[in-house]
Amino acid sequence: MNKLVASLLDGDHAAALAETQRLRGAGMAAERIVTEGLEAAMRRLDDKCTVESFNLLEIMLVGRAVSAVANELYPEGVPPEQGRATFVIATLEGDVHDLGKNIAKMVLIGKGYRVVDLGKDCPLATLANAAGREHARAVLVSGLITSVIPQVRQVKAALAECGLAGVAVVAGGAALKQSSAAALNVDYVAETAFDGARYLDQLVRGALS
Amino acid sequence: MNSLERIKAALAFAPPDRTPAVPQLFGHAAVLAGVALGDYLRDGSLLARCQLGALRCYGHDVVFAFMDLCVETEAAGAILQYREHQYPDVASYALAPAGDAAALAVPDPAVAGRMPELLRAAGILRGELDDTVLVTGCVAGPMTLATQLLGIETALYLAADDPARFEKILDFAAAVAIRYGVAQIEAGVHLPIVFDPSASPAVVPPQFFRELLLPRLQRVFAAFRQAGALANWLNIAGPTAATLPYYPEAGADIANFDYYVEPQLAQQLLPHTCLDGNLKSLDFVAAQPEQIAAAAARLVSAFAGRGGFLLASGCEIPPEAKPENIAALVAACRGG
Repeated sequence: MNKLVASLLDGDHAAALAETQRLRGAGMAAERIVTEGLEAAMRRLDDKCTVESFNLLEIMLVGRAVSAVANELYPEGVPPEQGRATFVIATLEGDVHDLGKNIAKMVLIGKGYRVVDLGKDCPLATLANAAGREHARAVLVSGLITSVIPQVRQVKAALAECGLAGVAVVAGGAALKQSSAAALNVDYVAETAFDGARYLDQLVRGALS
Repeated sequence: MNSLERIKAALAFAPPDRTPAVPQLFGHAAVLAGVALGDYLRDGSLLARCQLGALRCYGHDVVFAFMDLCVETEAAGAILQYREHQYPDVASYALAPAGDAAALAVPDPAVAGRMPELLRAAGILRGELDDTVLVTGCVAGPMTLATQLLGIETALYLAADDPARFEKILDFAAAVAIRYGVAQIEAGVHLPIVFDPSASPAVVPPQFFRELLLPRLQRVFAAFRQAGALANWLNIAGPTAATLPYYPEAGADIANFDYYVEPQLAQQLLPHTCLDGNLKSLDFVAAQPEQIAAAAARLVSAFAGRGGFLLASGCEIPPEAKPENIAALVAACRGG
């Protein structure tokens, strides 16, 4: 498993994929590769990534390798019964910048979560409906431009209208992280994708209740 | 002192009569004038009129012949999607993922895309203001244009997977910046600001900046200096503490710093370079004028003993910002 973790951290998606295929061929269960391979690599990357040293290039390379392994293990996507929890993620209507969302998604997949990606320019109703349909523990919204903030403030109300007032809302991205959870009417504002993932880990463990 | 003299004094670390106010007002000038952003970004005369209106309203020290960071990629062949009240984004990239820079021609600023409109804006602004107010232009830095030619995810993967092909795209981007920036100087700007948000350490590690971007920025700034730029201004938002020390080597005389970097640290990292920053952009939308005034006063005070400072936002002031917050920034420079 060390070889897989090293390949993931090097961002070498071809080597990570080859090692995954070798491990599967040797009879290793997909769940074990997720917990001891992907999650171990993401923990080490999390330790390395402070606010000062977090950069998209390195994260994307690791994320690409993680996605390659996850797709190999679960070509149809992580089944709900095997994912640790389900999150719905989107860039809201009015914002077409989705790189931050994609990074957060890759990090969460690497940590064994099931992530339903609604893409960019996503209407609030679509987000709320998906949260209900997918039994999401949280919805995640990313925003690069400040003009999307009024939309973010309405996410909780949209969820409540669908009877989902208990679903947590996490915001991130260059524009949103300049604000506060209270000002955005969300549960948490993530400084980085890993910061958000740590919050969600706590949420899923029940440590926040 | 007029505005230009005030900024020149700050550049020379000589005492200005007051701290220059250089809020990054781009699309906000359109909103202030009641003009659709989508029109402002495509009409040089309208852009100039709105910038002059904002200048009359706030009394700051700079105008910006700046549309958005898609001008160059559009001129090189990208197709943009325009919206009435937002900046455009790329609907179809100029370069396919397997594409080569050799397939692209450096756009002629006299005819390509919106470049002629930007040059028109530059000429009008300089004609109206002459040497009383700093008239700036804008070019996308090499890394930013590379990401706009390919899409940022494709560009970053290419940088890792095929560095030689990526470097040729960076060279193309630097050539575009030089030709477009020199045309802006010839059209009347005192200097073209190099905006390179994709060169931020939030996007690429400092080693990448040093090895791949620094040589191209040196080339761009050397060309601007030779063409008669008053000074070279590098604007990269985000947590730039690790790359600020390279700015003098790049040829930058003015360095933007964002709210992530404390003013004291910026001064330590760049003791001989004029700095501009670093009020948080979102505060111009969400905060109250008293909060802007207090933050601005702290910054002015932090640089009082050193000089070499232009009071600014760390990144663009959002178009929907409250006018009273921008007025508070300018008032802080005037000491009240």
